[in-house]
Amino acid sequence: MSAPFYKFGLFGDNIGLVIAFVIGIGFGFFLERAGFGNARILAAQFYFTDLRVFKVMFTAIVTAMLGLFYLSWIGFMDLALVYATPTFLLPQVIGGLILGFGFVIGGYCPGTSAVSAATGRVDGMIYLVGLITGTFVFGEFFPLVERFYVATPMGRVTIPDILSLPYGLVVFLIALMAVGGFAGATWIEKTVAAKRGAVKP
Amino acid sequence: MRTHLSRLTPNQALGLGALILGLGALLIGNPSGGATATIDARELARIVQTEVDHVKPVELADWIIKGKADFRLIDLRSTEDYAAYHIPGAENVEPTSLMDYGLQRNEKIILYSDGGIHSAQAWFLLKTAGYRGSYILLGGLEGWKDEVLFPHLPASPSREEMATFEQSREVSTFFGGTPRTGTASDQPSATQALPKPEMPSSPAARAAAGPPTRKKKEGC
Repeated sequence: MSAPFYKFGLFGDNIGLVIAFVIGIGFGFFLERAGFGNARILAAQFYFTDLRVFKVMFTAIVTAMLGLFYLSWIGFMDLALVYATPTFLLPQVIGGLILGFGFVIGGYCPGTSAVSAATGRVDGMIYLVGLITGTFVFGEFFPLVERFYVATPMGRVTIPDILSLPYGLVVFLIALMAVGGFAGATWIEKTVAAKRGAVKP
Repeated sequence: MRTHLSRLTPNQALGLGALILGLGALLIGNPSGGATATIDARELARIVQTEVDHVKPVELADWIIKGKADFRLIDLRSTEDYAAYHIPGAENVEPTSLMDYGLQRNEKIILYSDGGIHSAQAWFLLKTAGYRGSYILLGGLEGWKDEVLFPHLPASPSREEMATFEQSREVSTFFGGTPRTGTASDQPSATQALPKPEMPSSPAARAAAGPPTRKKKEGC
């Protein structure tokens, strides 16, 4: 038995959908438990008062990274078969900026807006409606933006490839960065809280 | 030491764990254990026995009709045979140049030759070289002719067989073949005229193909 299971034909499309459903429920559950259904908590990271988004995301990244690395090392997992989104540098930079603006303005990213709507928050529901409308509009106008959409293609790019560093070194550096980031984030939260406390008791 | 560890908060302990694992990764270096692929004979045998390495001609036809682009179709026959007829979208690669052809190890590669032997040999070659998403077109080009280009209706068909055949007829027409009915089914397919090796892509042809035989969803 080797992973990824789907690529090795251990189950077909229909079972794959069931598994995706279960994983999706889990994803939503943990987003909600982390408090990401609340726009105030999400927006707080931009004011450095609550950096839990940063912490949760970095924890997920490091956990997945270490898991994949060691599963591949023991020969259980074929990393070459794991889907990595191809890089289109310019459109993805612009898209990232648009998403960032939306995040700052609305207080949600696409996943968390679904979580928020599911917990009954009206802003989340409106956000979700906007998301679906935007997707639809984008789909309708796709021929107009298609050339930009596929501009600057770089294919499947990974950090070890692009920096020509060993995988292990990159894994170590990211783990180091995460631990440093946690310590730094906690320190920032405390400092900002102390300052705000001093200004507004 | 023990007291130091027990004084850590859960967060600090997790952070420490991540650092230790990261340090281990630094020492390991490459997670895939170098450039050589290990051949797991038992795994290969399992694949052969469970036949998950096969793609049925009708499945392939369905993917081509739907314009799926997540696979590469490799024609292992000679250049002349390829010029005479090939499955739409196929690339002609002779077994000798297979390794230098520029296939990616993470691609889904579907191999076919006239029968099944050449593709089975090439499949094994690719598998041992670490091309893990290699598949064989079941029955090769002969299978493709039998099931897709010239499907035949068995004598005295049941209602179900009729329905299946109706679908096959549409698929067959899409690829420029001719369905066979009744006694014509005894005829060997080689005598049938092969369609021109071109990709049928006009919207009319697509519409005529009707509902695909089997639903296949995109997986990433």
